[in-house]
Amino acid sequence: MSASAGLDAARGARTAAPGEVLVEVRGLEVHFPIKSGIIFDRTVGHVRAVDGVDLTIHRGETYGLVGESGCGKSTLGKAILNLEPPTAGSVIFDGVDIASLKGEDLRKERKRFQMVFQDPMSSLDPRQTVEALLLEGMRAHGLDTDKAATHARLRELMSAVGLPPAGLKKYPHEFSGGQRQRIGIARALSVGPDLIVADEPVSALDVSIQAQVINLLQDLQDELGLTYLVVAHDLAVVRHISDRIGVMYLGGLVEESEAGELYDVPLHPYTRALMSAVPVPDPTVEDSREQILLTGDLPSPANPPTGCRFHTRCPWRQETRCDTERPELRVVEVAGASSGHRVACHFAEQIAAGEIERHEVEAELVSEGFGGPDGPPTPPEAYIAP
Amino acid sequence: MSTQRIQPAARHGEPLLAVRDLRVTFGRRGEEPFRAVDGVSFDVRPGQTVGLVGESGCGKSVTSLAIMGLLPTRGNTVEGSAVFDGEDLLSLSAPQMRDRRGADIAMIFQDPLSSLNPVIQIGRQVTEVMERHQGLSRKEAMPKAADLLERVGIPDPTARLANYPHQLSGGMRQRALIAMALACQPRLLIADEPTTALDVTIQAQILALLKELVVETGTAMVMITHDLGVVAGLCDEVNVLYGGKIVERGDRHTLFARPRHPYTVGLLNSIPRLDAPRGEALSPIPGSVADNLPWDSACAFAPRCPNALDVCVRQTPQWDGDDVVGLRCFNPMAVSR
Repeated sequence: MSASAGLDAARGARTAAPGEVLVEVRGLEVHFPIKSGIIFDRTVGHVRAVDGVDLTIHRGETYGLVGESGCGKSTLGKAILNLEPPTAGSVIFDGVDIASLKGEDLRKERKRFQMVFQDPMSSLDPRQTVEALLLEGMRAHGLDTDKAATHARLRELMSAVGLPPAGLKKYPHEFSGGQRQRIGIARALSVGPDLIVADEPVSALDVSIQAQVINLLQDLQDELGLTYLVVAHDLAVVRHISDRIGVMYLGGLVEESEAGELYDVPLHPYTRALMSAVPVPDPTVEDSREQILLTGDLPSPANPPTGCRFHTRCPWRQETRCDTERPELRVVEVAGASSGHRVACHFAEQIAAGEIERHEVEAELVSEGFGGPDGPPTPPEAYIAP
Repeated sequence: MSTQRIQPAARHGEPLLAVRDLRVTFGRRGEEPFRAVDGVSFDVRPGQTVGLVGESGCGKSVTSLAIMGLLPTRGNTVEGSAVFDGEDLLSLSAPQMRDRRGADIAMIFQDPLSSLNPVIQIGRQVTEVMERHQGLSRKEAMPKAADLLERVGIPDPTARLANYPHQLSGGMRQRALIAMALACQPRLLIADEPTTALDVTIQAQILALLKELVVETGTAMVMITHDLGVVAGLCDEVNVLYGGKIVERGDRHTLFARPRHPYTVGLLNSIPRLDAPRGEALSPIPGSVADNLPWDSACAFAPRCPNALDVCVRQTPQWDGDDVVGLRCFNPMAVSR
């Protein structure tokens, strides 16, 4: 494809051997302060959105982050790009610590890592033409000096994402949802990045359109050697496009593995529950499979449970260690699990071997918002039945 | 719970709801009227769960709103009939319909935060239905409301009655909404994307709850969703909608094992499955809904269809089948897939 050759040239001679580490995240934390008070902005606590995450992304691979809403996966994606300044920890991108960069240095470095957002309607300026949208990033990084070359590049970008060049003069509202997401991808590609963080790239799209965008992302990766960090809640989508997957729960990684293996040998109780909750479009499978229904909701990240974050909902919870000691990600000796498969569970081996029985869990009430450890105050009985 | 009618699930017999040739047309200022639902017919029997599946814009939600009489009347026309228990819902006056809604027929909406009133306590919102339809006082209805909340799996229900919607999590809100829908033991429950706004583990909880309720109470349910996985586990009969018409119908086992309509096949092939081997490229349906042809003189799906013949763009495919199984296609997929 001529377009890809051109895009590759624009990326310069940066492409290196696959397998090399591109991003190394160490001890990353993002805490948001909870403010209270009218005159004095007192900080009364912190939402621990990301609470100590280590992960490594290799060049040319797709790393998938899954988890439910509120687990911190999107914040982690943004923190890796320093769109959300990390509270602690480091993000080494190709030898440079992005987390400590500021101002002009950070801005210059940004052309090497770009983001694709979930909702293409709200992430594209409705008053700019597609051409202006695509040019903005190139101009900011001084990539638009040669007028003829810029023009050619815009056309390449459009054809790379499967849109007609005539679309350059149009506005975002003139496109359908899937086409808008293609524009978002073209904008990310315009500055020739190495890493693209895609936050829920297909979840706003219709099923038949999702597949088009997923295939486009994969084709672009093959052609340009891009590295992806895909953040999504849809396990089937993540498993399809990722090489490795990290499962997040309440701000921390609970399991990390090669994509196929995660489904074949899930080791963490939360991963098992998550896998079993995904409906499969096959009635025979649906009727026969065993579901692990979790009770209750995700605890508040402002007040996470002690020890293992998952112990309040875990059907395999044990009397010891679970509620006192936070498990580290570790490699376990389990049949079928490779050396790249890490899990944060004290009892992963025993659970995998069937030595620990599953038990019922009583649902604990979880309040939305920050009502403190006991949830919102309960009014007296008389107030309930007036 | 004592207030629930316990009935064995009847799979056959007279339909509880018979929708016939439902057409909904939206008038648009300065433009041609838009037909959102174009001749939809289906039956729902007691104890049966019927699925309406399709992508956005296929008319699945409009169908449910038309049956419930919840579409704005101005500028819109609703034709056809929806016979519920011998009475055509579409011909009822607004006050007559109000007597039905919440009592015989209840609806669960997609987004629990926008369908609950944010400034009224949960308890009052649940008892309101019982006060309106069963003539109970609020004092009498409160314990029943607590029972209902407990029934749908809300911990500490009595205390929750005094909560406002924002104090509950998304899953709890959806449970409260289901409790409201169940308050008067409706015979028909219409669930419009009840789990789309929820996380998968919460979705699994809610689906398990709905499944249990249908079995225990014999309530008939219409399940509207875009998620084929949800349909596969829950619905007895599945209707696939495209461009306002039902294009394929069958019981779930047949439909998923041997889909005939190219659109159904396309939908199934375009979603990655969690249990499928990895590494196979997805085969998306080309184009988008914007490419649709008008049903009047063609098959709307023809421009996106891999099986399209010449006749597909010149003639409207007719419904070939009955109220149990059927297909609307000139050139369906071969039986074995």
